[in-house]
Amino acid sequence: MAATPTPLEVRNIKKRFGDTEVLKGLSLQAQKGDVITLIGASGSGKSTFLRCMNLLEQPDDGDLIVHGEPIRFKTTKHGREPEDWKQVVQMRAKLSMVFQSFNLWAHMTLLENIIEAPIHVLKKPKKEALEHAHALLDRVGLSARANAYPAQMSGGQQQRGAIARALAMDPEVMLFDEPTSALDPELVGDVLKVMHGLAEEGRTMVVVTHEMSFARDVSSQVIYLHQGLVAEAGPPDQVLGNPQSPRLQQFLAPKY
Amino acid sequence: MLDISAWFNDLLAGNTIFTADTLGYYWEGLVTTTQLVFLSLIAGLILAVPLAIMRSSKHKWISLPIYFYTYVFRGTPLLIQLYIIYYGVVFIDGIQDTFLWPVLREAFYPALIAFTLNTAAYTTEIFRGAIKATAQGEIEAARAYGMSQSLMMRRIILPSAFRRALPAYGNEVIFMLHASAIASVVTLMDLTGAARFVYARYYAPFEAFLFVAAIYLCLTFAILFFFRYLEKKLLAHLNS
Repeated sequence: MAATPTPLEVRNIKKRFGDTEVLKGLSLQAQKGDVITLIGASGSGKSTFLRCMNLLEQPDDGDLIVHGEPIRFKTTKHGREPEDWKQVVQMRAKLSMVFQSFNLWAHMTLLENIIEAPIHVLKKPKKEALEHAHALLDRVGLSARANAYPAQMSGGQQQRGAIARALAMDPEVMLFDEPTSALDPELVGDVLKVMHGLAEEGRTMVVVTHEMSFARDVSSQVIYLHQGLVAEAGPPDQVLGNPQSPRLQQFLAPKY
Repeated sequence: MLDISAWFNDLLAGNTIFTADTLGYYWEGLVTTTQLVFLSLIAGLILAVPLAIMRSSKHKWISLPIYFYTYVFRGTPLLIQLYIIYYGVVFIDGIQDTFLWPVLREAFYPALIAFTLNTAAYTTEIFRGAIKATAQGEIEAARAYGMSQSLMMRRIILPSAFRRALPAYGNEVIFMLHASAIASVVTLMDLTGAARFVYARYYAPFEAFLFVAAIYLCLTFAILFFFRYLEKKLLAHLNS
């Protein structure tokens, strides 16, 4: 049996903003079914790292391999950029992202948000996209809100809707950028429950989060970033249960 | 049919100013004004969409020429633009031998060109502002979901920008209707031209101009009503 290609592999990613080097050579490998959580203080580079994975930020150095296919880069006078944007577009369609501030398209209903990219990017027939969308809405508990506009929904509903939009792409890997940070505390639970379910069904996920309980219960690997470097990494029991560095011990200590 | 015109004539009997004759002038003026405004708005709108996209470009050599155009047309009076086009085209070498001449010789087409270029300039800036105001997060989501630049423009940026631009564009339409009154100075028999004609003939300023003002009011009301309907339909997503 031929080995299935690794869904997502990044090697030695470096990124600087002006004079500050925010990522100093970060690597990560997500095998099928892995749930990798990235934790760290704000400014540690975890969100930037995640955004380098689908090239919303352009890394200055490093390799990006999606489903066994390396993204080709070239160097221009503006810096390093992808050689072929078509390849990037195809790559992005395999990785779907869930944002901290949801970023649903405000002029479309929830249902239209979900079928938009499958129809226009993946070229799925509309009927099929609609069927899939209704199944996904049911799954995230939003069937009743299919025709609501984002502005008419609560933050928690919007984020669950955004997860349905991500799932509609049948992504190879799902990237979550602090999906619960913009939510009221009482709405966090619903979103985490949906994410739990995704992990259980074997979705490959990379999650930037501050929810330590989620990291502990769900991840196959936890990566603690500090100042643009991997400070500690491993299974949650090890990283969260037995932190080695004083810095991580302090990061995990109860704040109040 | 005969009955109606007989009834109409009865109604007008004893009225010296608003005869079937002068009402005919007003009617023709209304048709001319509507054609002029409608056609220049449509043409201006069609021009403004690509111009606004170019104006929003991050490449200076694309956006600057468009900015120059909108700056010049918004920075000078429409009347002057109309004069330049109406009186100026005659002096273009050889224009009288081209197929364009029969068209340009009429007052209607120079006015249409001036109005189109003017409204296109304003509309371009309205759209540019709306495009610029697109939520960054929505653009990022479009990129993250594998949309190409053109698909994102077509499906996300423009549909959301057009909706945002609607109230400002409604004002531009009303502004154009009122600005069209100056077409009468280049001999065009639009609504204002008809009113001036009636005034000159009967020396009745109040009757001639109040009547035409009432027609403009009705037109404005119709435009407002139409845009309110559009806004209700297309801006539903902003009402939480």
